[in-house]
Amino acid sequence: MFSASYLCRNFKLTDMKDLLRLKTSLSEEIEQILNEQVKVEAHSSAIYLAMSSWCDDQGYDFSAAYFAKQADEERTHMLKLFHYINDRGGKAISPEITNVPKDFESFRGVFELALEQEMHVTAQFNNIADKCFKAKDFVTFQFIQWFLAEQIEEEYVARRILEMFDVIGEEGTGRWEIDKHVPKVSYSAE
Amino acid sequence: MPCGLASLEEIFRTTHGVVFQCSNKNCYWLDFGGDCTPFKVNDFIQLKKQVEQIDIDAMLLDPRPGAEIAIIMPFRSHRCFVLQVEDVINLRELLRGAKFMMELPGLIKDCLKISPALYA
Repeated sequence: MFSASYLCRNFKLTDMKDLLRLKTSLSEEIEQILNEQVKVEAHSSAIYLAMSSWCDDQGYDFSAAYFAKQADEERTHMLKLFHYINDRGGKAISPEITNVPKDFESFRGVFELALEQEMHVTAQFNNIADKCFKAKDFVTFQFIQWFLAEQIEEEYVARRILEMFDVIGEEGTGRWEIDKHVPKVSYSAE
Repeated sequence: MPCGLASLEEIFRTTHGVVFQCSNKNCYWLDFGGDCTPFKVNDFIQLKKQVEQIDIDAMLLDPRPGAEIAIIMPFRSHRCFVLQVEDVINLRELLRGAKFMMELPGLIKDCLKISPALYA
């Protein structure tokens, strides 16, 4: 090793090679919030999988399939973010997932929780869009638009399913009827 | 020594250390605690994050022996940082300053590109 006194001090700011930008196009702040979102999506995926298992256990086959599909979708979203971070020169972090519930209060409660989860995800993406805009990272801002548009559908479907509990009612064969209608709920922007 | 001396440029200095950039090997050198160590860009950023994550309050308040010491062993480096609270504060100051100075040339270039007349 050698001491600092050997090292030159010809520091010319704008002539210097910009090693940071050669390595990554993402700022530390944007990379961090995107990695946090990777974790949120992974957590969502895990929660939906737990919901799927609970519904299966309770005999709600269609809802179990619906939540399993949602879990897959959330994982796809996570990977989309994950690859974007790496593609832009950042370092995507495979998240640690904790606090995944195993049991749920009721059939209705599962869908209420699903809607709350989607609203939370929307709020997170809004926050990311805001930070991208402030940081003038319009490339990431543009990338995030797809997720924001996706959230319209996610929230719509979750809310519509929840409304079925009031429209159909839970008495008698109500829950069986609701479960049967869950896969039929879809969103059309037109 | 992986870098020729002539290729090193000082980025930031405090009374406790210096950070240099080697534009030949695209790496940074951290001179701190009597040793000078090279880091690739990612590894340097990772080191900064690790130092930022050290909980100084816990180091000060935890009565257990050894709690006042933080140890960082960066990957792909021979260096092992054994830090007391004062070292953590000094290293943080050095790394924060260096990170700012690393970003500054890019910011200045952006300004010059967007509005060259304003900075003429």
